[in-house]
Amino acid sequence: MTVIDPRLQEALDGERDPAALPAELREAYARLTAAAALLRDPPATSVADRVMAEIRREAPARRPANWLLRPVTFRLRPVWTLAVAAAVAAVVFLPFRESATPGAEEGVAQFVGHFPGARSVEVVGSFNDWQRGALALRDEDHDGIWHGAVVLPAGQHEYMFVVDGERWVADPLAGRYVDDGFGAGQQNALLIVRP
Amino acid sequence: MTLLLLLLLQSPHARLEGRVPPAALPGLDSLIEQAVAESLPTEPLVQKALEGGAKGIPVPRLVNGVRHGLVQLRDARAIVSRATPARASLDGDVAAVAAALARGLDPALIERLLSAAPPPEPAPGEPPGPVLHAAADLVAHGFPADSAAELLRAAQQQGLHGTRLLDVAVAASHELQREGGRTPVEALARVRAMLPNVPVAAPPHPRTVTRRAGRGS
Repeated sequence: MTVIDPRLQEALDGERDPAALPAELREAYARLTAAAALLRDPPATSVADRVMAEIRREAPARRPANWLLRPVTFRLRPVWTLAVAAAVAAVVFLPFRESATPGAEEGVAQFVGHFPGARSVEVVGSFNDWQRGALALRDEDHDGIWHGAVVLPAGQHEYMFVVDGERWVADPLAGRYVDDGFGAGQQNALLIVRP
Repeated sequence: MTLLLLLLLQSPHARLEGRVPPAALPGLDSLIEQAVAESLPTEPLVQKALEGGAKGIPVPRLVNGVRHGLVQLRDARAIVSRATPARASLDGDVAAVAAALARGLDPALIERLLSAAPPPEPAPGEPPGPVLHAAADLVAHGFPADSAAELLRAAQQQGLHGTRLLDVAVAASHELQREGGRTPVEALARVRAMLPNVPVAAPPHPRTVTRRAGRGS
């Protein structure tokens, strides 16, 4: 290690007037203070910044396309991932389709019931896991004839009408019925959907 | 992949939880486990349990209803195995036969309909549901079971299959209700003479206007 001249050290520490230094020390003093100034004030644009700026620079016309193609990272808690997956599964896999155009293995099921004075009529059956609120019939002209149609998978489906949210009625026009098996002699209507 | 996994992970227990009274769950779980152990389809049992829960059936009757469904599935598999010993019974076939039993169709008649595979139809692997429903429709309209089976077999031999067999049953019931009256034997003979040109049955509710249906609509 080179030992620095004590006079130069004193000048760098501000304890001695640099002008009073000998010529060779004054030159060393000037080089050291210049170097210190460079270290104290970093350049306005670093090499790294300039390189990154070049990488990011793109033709304006390509920006929208690149925005669409650029990978995006989402951070989701696992519970939200499952919730999103469940919602997508419900839309994709549930047999109930919001479409009046059946596919090759589907058909249109039509429902009509005469329930004068009813406030609501819905269809509940094996095609919607016997879930209430999935298919409401309509009576726009208030003549007591409630109707609706829905696309269902081809095959056999059991169902009932639920009138005013509490009265379970087998469709009188179904033509096919099956005992519901719960021992009270109640029958479900049977629907066979043709593809 | 995630979706598939999610659906596979949804066990019958998970589907029933919150949809049936908690007191019914152990009994239902046990019945479904029995079905799994016997390689019987579980979906009809899950549906029956969901139906009972939606209807507010008391727990003992709900569990008994599902138990009855399990017994019908066992009977159905036995019928399928006897009728088609050469091939393994499919879940869909077993469920279709169980549904026919639930409609009151005689087991011997079901077995006869399944084992009768006249050329060229039904094609191998054709689901038995339509022919069984057609037979059940005919019997429900008062036609003798044997005559109904013969008519359907004749229709199959004439190339009718699938839901076209339902048209045969509809045609027979129309003949029976024709003005002037026909006996069941006359009606069946009349339809047999039409084969294979029985009319395609009209939709049951022509007044209905098809609309787009939505969940919760």
